[in-house]
Amino acid sequence: MTAKPILYHGEPNGPSLTALAAAFEKQVALDLRPIDLAAGDRHAAAMPQDVEVAMSIEGEGPVLLVDGVAMTDSVFLACYFDEIGTGPALRPADPYARWDMMAWCRYVIERVAPAAAFLGTQAHLAPALVAIDDDAFAGLTGAIVSTDLADRWRAVRSGDYPDARIADSRDKIGQAVTRIEAQLGDGRDWLMGPFGIADLESYAWLAGMVALVPSAFEAAPRTRDWLARVKARPSVTRALSLARTAAPQDVWAPGPEINRWG
Amino acid sequence: MTDVALYHWEPNANSGKPMLALMEKGVAFHSHYLDLLEFDQHKPGYLAINPLGTIPAMTHGDKVLTESTAIMEYVDEAFDGPALMPADPVDRWRVRWWMKFMDQWLAPSFSMIGWSVFIGPAVRARDPALLEAAIDRIPMPERRVAWRKAIHGSFGAAEMAESQRRVAHGIILLEAALAEREWLASDGYSLADINGFNLAYALPLSQPGLSNDTLTPNIMRWLRAIYARPATRATWAMGRTDMARRVTILESEPA
Repeated sequence: MTAKPILYHGEPNGPSLTALAAAFEKQVALDLRPIDLAAGDRHAAAMPQDVEVAMSIEGEGPVLLVDGVAMTDSVFLACYFDEIGTGPALRPADPYARWDMMAWCRYVIERVAPAAAFLGTQAHLAPALVAIDDDAFAGLTGAIVSTDLADRWRAVRSGDYPDARIADSRDKIGQAVTRIEAQLGDGRDWLMGPFGIADLESYAWLAGMVALVPSAFEAAPRTRDWLARVKARPSVTRALSLARTAAPQDVWAPGPEINRWG
Repeated sequence: MTDVALYHWEPNANSGKPMLALMEKGVAFHSHYLDLLEFDQHKPGYLAINPLGTIPAMTHGDKVLTESTAIMEYVDEAFDGPALMPADPVDRWRVRWWMKFMDQWLAPSFSMIGWSVFIGPAVRARDPALLEAAIDRIPMPERRVAWRKAIHGSFGAAEMAESQRRVAHGIILLEAALAEREWLASDGYSLADINGFNLAYALPLSQPGLSNDTLTPNIMRWLRAIYARPATRATWAMGRTDMARRVTILESEPA
């Protein structure tokens, strides 16, 4: 490796939080470069424009630059850090336990993250985008290579939040909490037994949902305790200390799209 | 005697991914063919194995695994045989990135088109009451919506146009990646290629105006190279329908 990898990251919430905390858990030395994902900074001309950045399923997430290779998608960045870093393993060594974790993360990526981003952007990004003038907004979306990601930005600004989708997204958050509560039912501290990527990824998308969907967490004492435990991890504390705003869990940019098909 | 069993439909899309991965690793498995068009995947026998009623599922001893891409990673790690993930961590990341891109962005668009032209017409003529009862047995609400759209042909023009746009753009991205590297995600054959072949094996037949020897020579080279592998031949020989037989388009000579 010729130089320290560069991590372009947003506020420590959602995918940026997963990537930052995973790197800190694994003691991977990084050149940290904060960018404002909620202002479209990831699409600036100075940023890598590779297909893996432009078409990242995660939407607006962190970008890791390793020897000229631009890498995205926070769970897979965390897997990469797990493979190259020196800290305790973030994935089980046993193939079946590892399958269990990857299938859990896939569930979060596919069902929970889109719902969280939908609700988070409605509450926290839409007002800011409405305040931007038309030309500036056209400049922002014009720089976005992915047509469907640009459409998601436009949907936020125009307030395209159908009631059915809001209800479904709130349900998805509730289902995730139910699943976590059951997973913790045997008294374990962490979702898969040992602490790992599933804890980071689940926490990162749900931390901001406590205020937005409080009913989901009311009857979930084990989940609330687990949220507090994750937040107290030194790696997460350190990631949160990088925040440039008072409440990083309230900073959202367009995320993964809600499933179009099944 | 093997303690591996795979519950699958045709060698196509999600079912074909663990089929081909197991074949490449040389792992013997009991094949349980579920006829998607007969709704076998929503019948009690299978729901006892996978309560969500999605295909495929794999059992290994007393372990049950679902989610085709995650199953493939398990197959690669749990069994001897040739490695299907590259050794380099950046390459491994790239394999995962492409699989996710295909699973969540490109494949659903192929699938929407496929369901509208193949699945829907194949079951539409049956007794409406029986079809509705079959749909009611589907555990996942998202899948119930999908089946209703396919059966009633009620895809919206906008969503079909968006799927066609994604297929066209996805073909351009695949061609560019395969112009850069021999295989999709690294210099060696990997799970990304197995995943991609299941998505794209019939491209020159289903999208002849977008993918052919002139427009996408690297996709064609890649598909023919995967089809030439003994594991691929053995996997597609397990197909029972004309859908899987589309793979023979790859026996054509390069133009």
